Amino acid sequence: MEKVIFLLLIPLLGIYANESELEKNCLKCHEQNQLPSKLIYKRYLLKYSTPTNIKNAMFNYIKNPDPKNSIMPPQFFLKFEIKKRLDLDDETLKRDIELFIKKYDIKKRLK
Amino acid sequence: MLASEKKSLYRFLAIYLISTFLLFSLAVAIFYKSAKKHIINSQKKELNIAAQNIKNKLRELHQSFDEVLIYPRIKNFESAIYDLDKNLIFSTFKSPPPLKNQVTKDRIYKVYRIKPYYLGAAYLLVSKEIDTAPIIFLQKNIAIFMLVGGFVFLILGLFLGKLFIKPMKESLQEKNRFIQDATHELNTPISTILTNIELIEALGKCQDAKEELKRVEIASKTLSRIYEDLAYISFNTNLYKKVEDIDFSKLLKERLLYFKSFLEAKDIKVQTDIKENIIIKMDRNDAIRLIDNLLSNAIKYNKPNGSLKIVLDENEFIIEDSGIGIKKSDLSKLTQRFIRANSSEGGFGLGLNIVNEIVKRYNFELKIDSIVNKGTKVTIKWKK
Repeated sequence: MEKVIFLLLIPLLGIYANESELEKNCLKCHEQNQLPSKLIYKRYLLKYSTPTNIKNAMFNYIKNPDPKNSIMPPQFFLKFEIKKRLDLDDETLKRDIELFIKKYDIKKRLK
Repeated sequence: MLASEKKSLYRFLAIYLISTFLLFSLAVAIFYKSAKKHIINSQKKELNIAAQNIKNKLRELHQSFDEVLIYPRIKNFESAIYDLDKNLIFSTFKSPPPLKNQVTKDRIYKVYRIKPYYLGAAYLLVSKEIDTAPIIFLQKNIAIFMLVGGFVFLILGLFLGKLFIKPMKESLQEKNRFIQDATHELNTPISTILTNIELIEALGKCQDAKEELKRVEIASKTLSRIYEDLAYISFNTNLYKKVEDIDFSKLLKERLLYFKSFLEAKDIKVQTDIKENIIIKMDRNDAIRLIDNLLSNAIKYNKPNGSLKIVLDENEFIIEDSGIGIKKSDLSKLTQRFIRANSSEGGFGLGLNIVNEIVKRYNFELKIDSIVNKGTKVTIKWKK
């Protein structure tokens, strides 16, 4: 019985582990610096439309943070500093971006 | 109206009505297509308004970006949004249709671009059911228009047709009048010649020129028959028919006697099998024309020293000659007026036409069997 419960919990534990990874790698810092991740996602969505395009754009920006690559307007950087380059491997970064997009998935929100 | 006039009028009407109908239908089809397009376009404008409302609502939803976003729904309209790669984001359709502008049997679909991409939507597909009421109204109006137009064109066609055949009718009437007058004028001299030949023969006044007199008699009788045929087709109407019981056996023998000189001139052997007292109900003149024309043909197209077989009973009347025969291909045309299978002998091509008319009038049955260079067999079956 314990084995069955454990086996059922494995996927849930996996999701939780992933979300906590996103929290740790990305959102925690966003919250601390009061950087509105929802607003950022909205701007990506408004400009790039598809998840693939958004993923590519985010990946490029995070790899080479520069106001010119950013989705945010130049005025944004008058108030906030440009972010530091993340020390994450490509695979983890891609996974985190995927989780970030899933978090705000528009298909789930639309009723 | 004569048969030829009727034929011309029908032909003219057929050509006129078919061409008019085709042109009229083409014009109506073009008009219908254009009017239907106009109706559909006016309904497409409603789609534009709905699309604009949906776009505005999407902008509002994008701005709010709440946990639950209620997709805008408009009564009588269905819509769907797609991302830049044309992947479906959300749809109110039961099954999303292809992302393209189209008009199906019952719906109109229109695609709109959205920029910037509110909620990631790059394309908006809006659809509504076609309001068929104005189209049905248009179809009804067109059907009424076609019916009224068809009737007007038919009346116009009849009027034009009569105008068209008027000169031909006048010309035919003139010719007929001439033939009738000429036929009438021929009657008296022919009758005088024949009566006087009979008188000379009866009185034995011309013993030295019997052969010459016979030739004059044959020529006069030929002329007389031509006159009778012409008179038959010129003055033949149902009004002058006196249908009565005719002793066909007796009449046939009388006519054979009349043709005796013709048979002797060509030395044709006659074999008869005539049953006595065969009574046929018909007009006497019709019976004479029937017998005379068949006998005349059988003698005219027979070979010298040929044979002629005549059979008469309750069922049929057969005349079989040993003449030149008729080609199979000509058999079907023989009963048409002025059609002659062979021009070697004199004539107008009236004989078998008259026979056929008489046969049809009394519901008899005419059958012609012929073998070239062997002979022709004409069978008339009496009606039961």
